Amino acid sequence: MPDDMQAVWLTVLLAGVTTLLLFPIASPLAWWLARSDSKGRSLVEAVVAMPLVLPPTVLGFYLLVMLNPDSFVGGLWLNVTGESLTFSFSGLVIASVIYSLPFMVQPLHATFRAVPVPVLEAAATLGASPRDQWLNVVLPLAKRGYLTGGVLTFAHTVGEFGVVLMMGGNIPGETRVLSIAIYEHVETLNYQAAHSLALGLMCFSFLSLWLVYRYTGHRFEVVR
Amino acid sequence: MRNQLIIRGCLERARFTLDLDLSIDLDEPLGIMGATGAGKTTLLRIIAGLEPDFTGSVAFCGEVWRDGMIDRVPTHQRGLGVAFQDSRLLPGRTVENNLNFATQRAPAVDSRLDYMTLVGALDLQHLLRESVDSLSGGERQRVALARALLARPRLLLLDEPLSANDSAHRQQVIAHLGDWMSAEGTPFIYVSHAAAELAQLTRQVLILDQGAVRALGKTGDLLEAGNVVSGTGPLSLAAVVVAKDHHSRTATLEFTDSDHAVGALGQGERVVVCRDVSEGSGLDASLQPESDEDQR
Repeated sequence: MPDDMQAVWLTVLLAGVTTLLLFPIASPLAWWLARSDSKGRSLVEAVVAMPLVLPPTVLGFYLLVMLNPDSFVGGLWLNVTGESLTFSFSGLVIASVIYSLPFMVQPLHATFRAVPVPVLEAAATLGASPRDQWLNVVLPLAKRGYLTGGVLTFAHTVGEFGVVLMMGGNIPGETRVLSIAIYEHVETLNYQAAHSLALGLMCFSFLSLWLVYRYTGHRFEVVR
Repeated sequence: MRNQLIIRGCLERARFTLDLDLSIDLDEPLGIMGATGAGKTTLLRIIAGLEPDFTGSVAFCGEVWRDGMIDRVPTHQRGLGVAFQDSRLLPGRTVENNLNFATQRAPAVDSRLDYMTLVGALDLQHLLRESVDSLSGGERQRVALARALLARPRLLLLDEPLSANDSAHRQQVIAHLGDWMSAEGTPFIYVSHAAAELAQLTRQVLILDQGAVRALGKTGDLLEAGNVVSGTGPLSLAAVVVAKDHHSRTATLEFTDSDHAVGALGQGERVVVCRDVSEGSGLDASLQPESDEDQR
C-alpha cells in the first residue's frame, strides 16, 4: 500500500508540525487566559474553544473562503511563496493549528492556573526576572500540561477529517491524510484497506489517551 | 542616605487603608509589630514591589524604587532577600534545589556567611535531599530563611520567619541571626508578634494598627515604657498595654495577636504581670481567671 504509507507519513508529519507550532502559539495565549482579569478574556476563551463545537465543515468552509488565492491572505501567500494555501500541505497546517488550538490551550490554561502566584513572587524577590521565572519556575511546574496538550493535539490532528477535506481535498502526497484515505477506501468499497487503517487509528487514539491518563494523571475535560 | 528607607503613599485594602509617611534609617535593625491584619505583611510587600495598587514612592539608599504607580526598579532588581511567613518554596523540588535557586542569582559579594554555615546553623543538613513538599512548617520556614540569606541581599525582609518553629529552634536561629546580620552589616526588617524576639534582634520598632503607624521608636524605649508586653503562660501573646495598676501589679492589655484567637481581654479575666510593668524590658504576663488567687 504505497499510497496508504504515504498517507500515514503525511498524517504524522502534519500532526507533528501542528503540535510543534502550537507549543509557542498556545503558551502565551494560555498564560494570558490564566492570569488576566481583562473583560475580554471570556470573549477570547469562547473564540479559542469554537473548534470544539463548530462542525469541521463550517470551519473548513470559512478557512477556504479566507485563504483562497483570491482572498487577501491567500493572495499575499501566493505572491510571497508562489504556492496556493488551499489544497496544499501549508494550508492544511494552518487549518490544523486553528482546529487543534483548544486541545493545546485548555490543558496549558489549567496547568498555568495551578502555578501559585506567591511562588512567582518569591522567585522575583530572589532576583528572577519575568523571563527567568517563566523558564525556571513555570515551565518545570507545567510539564504535565505540556505533555497532555502535546499528546492530545497530536492525536486530534491525526484524526482530522472535515477541515482537511474542505481545505486540502484529496491529493496523494500533498493533502491525502489517513482519514481521507479511509474515506476513499470506503467509497471504492475496499473495506479491507479501510479496516486496516481504521483499526490502526483506533489503537493509536487509545494509546494516546492512555498515555495521558497514565503518566500525567490529568483529568482533561473537553466539552463538546 | 546610607540604608535610608523612605515610604510615602497609600494603599486601600478592604479592612483598612495603609497610609504611610515613613523615613527610617535602617542602619539599626527595624522590628514591626501589630495585630494580625494591621498591615505588617502589606508594608513588606510594598517595599518588595509586590503591591501594584500602592500609590506613592518607595526609595532605599537614595535609589527610587517606585514613583507613583510606576516601579522604577522592579522587584527582581531590588537586591532583596525575603522570608515569607508561608515560606513560598518552589514546590516539587528538593531543599538543595531551592537553596541553589537563590545562590545562582545572588550577586558576587564577599560574605562570611557561606552555604554550609547557614545549612548547619539552621539545622537543614539532613534535609538537603528531601522534597520541600514533605517538610514540616518549621522546616519550610528555615529553608525560606536560608534562601533569603543566600540571596546576599542589600535589604533583608523577614515576615514572621520562625512562627512555625519550636522555641528551641527559634532561640537557636535568632541568636545566629543577630550575629550574622551585625557581622554582614545587612540592614533588615523583622516582623513578629513576639516582643522578646524583637528586643533581641532589633534596635527600633514600628507598631502598626489597622494600617496606621501607632508608634515608631527605639525598641528598648517602647518595650520598657510598657507599650508592648510579651506573654507567657497559658497563652502566648503580644499586646499593647492600655492601662496598668502598679499597686495590684495587673495590666489591661489590648491584644495584638489574634493568631491565638485571644482578641481582647475577656470579662472575668485579668493579667498577672510577673515583673513590675514599670521597670525592666521584655515584660512577661500571664492570663488568669478573675476568680483565681493571685499566683504571684
